[in-house]
Amino acid sequence: MSAHATSMRDALYEAPGPRTRRLTIIGTTISMILVAIGLALVVRQFYVTGQLDAKYWSFFAEWSTWRYLLKGFVGTLEVAAMAAAISLVLGILLMLGRISSNRLLAIVTRIIIDFFRGVPSLLLIYFFYLVIPQYGIRLPSFWMITLPVALAASGVLAEVFRAGVNAVPKGQTEAALSIGLTPGKTMRKIVLPQALRIVVPSLISQLVVVVKDTTVAYVVSYPDLMQNARVLISNHDSVVSMYLVAAVIYILINFAINQLSIYMARRSGTPIISRTTENPT
Amino acid sequence: MGYAELIAEYGDKYLHAIWETLSMTAVCFAVAMVLSILITVMRVSPIKPLRIVGDIYVQIFRNIPGVALLVIVAYALPNLKIALPWKTCVEVTVILLASAFGSENFMTGINAIGVGQIEAARSIGLTFGQTMMKVVIPQALRSAVLPMTNLLIATMLTTALGSQVPLNPQELTGLVSYITTRSTGAGIVPFVISALCYAGSAVLIGMVGNSIDKKVRIMR
Amino acid sequence: MADQIPVIELQHVDKHYGKLHVLRDINLSVHKGEVLVLIGPSGSGKSTLCRTINRLETIDSGQILIEGKELPQEGRELAQMRAEIGMVFQSFNLFAHKTILQNVTLGPIEVLKTPKNIAEAEAMELLDRVGVAEQAHKVPAQLSGGQQQRVAIARSLAMHPKAMLFDEPTSALDPEMINEVLEVMVELAREGMTMVVVTHEMNFARRVSNRVVFMADGQIVEEGTPDEFFDHPKSDRAKDFLDSIRGH
Repeated sequence: MSAHATSMRDALYEAPGPRTRRLTIIGTTISMILVAIGLALVVRQFYVTGQLDAKYWSFFAEWSTWRYLLKGFVGTLEVAAMAAAISLVLGILLMLGRISSNRLLAIVTRIIIDFFRGVPSLLLIYFFYLVIPQYGIRLPSFWMITLPVALAASGVLAEVFRAGVNAVPKGQTEAALSIGLTPGKTMRKIVLPQALRIVVPSLISQLVVVVKDTTVAYVVSYPDLMQNARVLISNHDSVVSMYLVAAVIYILINFAINQLSIYMARRSGTPIISRTTENPT
Repeated sequence: MGYAELIAEYGDKYLHAIWETLSMTAVCFAVAMVLSILITVMRVSPIKPLRIVGDIYVQIFRNIPGVALLVIVAYALPNLKIALPWKTCVEVTVILLASAFGSENFMTGINAIGVGQIEAARSIGLTFGQTMMKVVIPQALRSAVLPMTNLLIATMLTTALGSQVPLNPQELTGLVSYITTRSTGAGIVPFVISALCYAGSAVLIGMVGNSIDKKVRIMR
Repeated sequence: MADQIPVIELQHVDKHYGKLHVLRDINLSVHKGEVLVLIGPSGSGKSTLCRTINRLETIDSGQILIEGKELPQEGRELAQMRAEIGMVFQSFNLFAHKTILQNVTLGPIEVLKTPKNIAEAEAMELLDRVGVAEQAHKVPAQLSGGQQQRVAIARSLAMHPKAMLFDEPTSALDPEMINEVLEVMVELAREGMTMVVVTHEMNFARRVSNRVVFMADGQIVEEGTPDEFFDHPKSDRAKDFLDSIRGH
């Protein structure tokens, strides 16, 4: 009874007896000391290298710093939102191709999906940044970062959508066909809406990947959070403090997105399908 | 510039780049596996501070963008008197990221086992150690095959971060940027070669992982 | 029989879940060869009581004695004691990654250090006895619930237990599978196995048990022979409970 309420990692251990309890207390004490020593060493390293000096941190007390970072953050949001929207549409289209009864279409889309899932987003960025201009097409920097991020995400999303469609009970399709809906209508009116609902938490968690991919926007000189942080670094000569603050901001954003996705998954009782849980082939 | 010319001029560099990408992937994945086992042991240990440190570790490195971590390792750490060679910077970054996801995969595997089987193991008189060795770990490992296959692919893709620091020799993504900036007539060819190397390896890894999974998958 | 040391004895056992008092001053002894059935409404503490005997649940105060010796709190001593008491769970809890045969031989090989070939021969005999010998090389997920539960019983029997605990062994089964499991339990009882059974199967209780213990709100409200209890319940709680399950 009580065991079912606790998490699995607690369930590995039974209620401790006196000897176990003593060992746990000793272990806890020792590990606390070790953690404290570790933290002290880190702080000391910052101190002896002068990284705790006020000049590296005082500009964070200025509103202009945060205004500039916020501007960068808006840039990040713009890229992420547009990339997410494009990959959503592309993902659905690719998925429809992948499950289509037209053999050729299925094979071609499958190759496209595998390609985008199997190629680093950085390589795609170089494609839009360095390769495309050689053919005389000059995209604005916004699109040079947004398109590759969207393409990389669309491959994964196609597979997420496919998992969603597969999770819709077969009986739904059979019932729809039996009342005379065409296969196309069955997909549009019955299967897709349910599949979409199933994958909502997975889509949210996929946003984390999109946000992460946008951080190389500096390659194409698009002013996102990371790029603006780099500008602040050259203004204030503050590599350590600025990069750490930027990292913390990104971690908090992604942590929040992940928590939202977990919350949604729990509320709707659907699992989160991600790159790591999907089928690799 | 056609394929033949490109290969004549950069063929050597491509071979090096493929080797760099694949060997970095193998090294990083191997170290990340060891590290993720360690982190997972910390996270499931009965000792609170270790659990907290393990949990925080995973939250940090699964949420930080690769580039944000790389710039800290490569450009911020030297200011703290910790200067690593460029390649080591990339490897450290990839290992930290991959180990966080690796630990998550193991945790998912452990969570799938269920309290009941552990109680059953206890009730037939298995000690804690026996329960771990005979019931928990075998199941966690077997259900981790597929996620770890995907992680291996993701690890390979993450080594593309190597293009953001001066590596010598370069890996597959850095080489594309190198060639394309030098030989302006190279066009799409260098990109296609690198992309096919990546995607081909990914499909291959996926196939191997899938066939292993089919053999060891646990029916529930 | 009365002057023999009971196989299982609980003295003044108390347990709380936070504010909830789930076991209140439980005193109970089970003698060799006795089949004791624990019944009561859900939340009465009967499952918890059953699980404390194997220390799958801890107690706050009181004593649990197995053949006169106090139940150890941890380590090898506890594992040793558990090996001597079989336990069958509501949800079977077979090891998902092992074959049926391996499920049964794991305990003997690891705990009793029985040589593998002997353990396997014994296991096959037990599987034959519970009627699932043909399934020996399948994995649990390939078996029906009733078959899985019979394997779980064989897994416990393979340890040559002094007593067996059954925690609602048929509650998770489809109706048509309940009897095949009960048959195995009836057989065990006939052979003289000491058993503590938490169940809602009143026919089983009436047919097989020596003693029925009725629990409510963490307390033993009354106990007696099956005939006494089912035909002439003394307490109002027991009367209400019997009425409710008979559907009056």
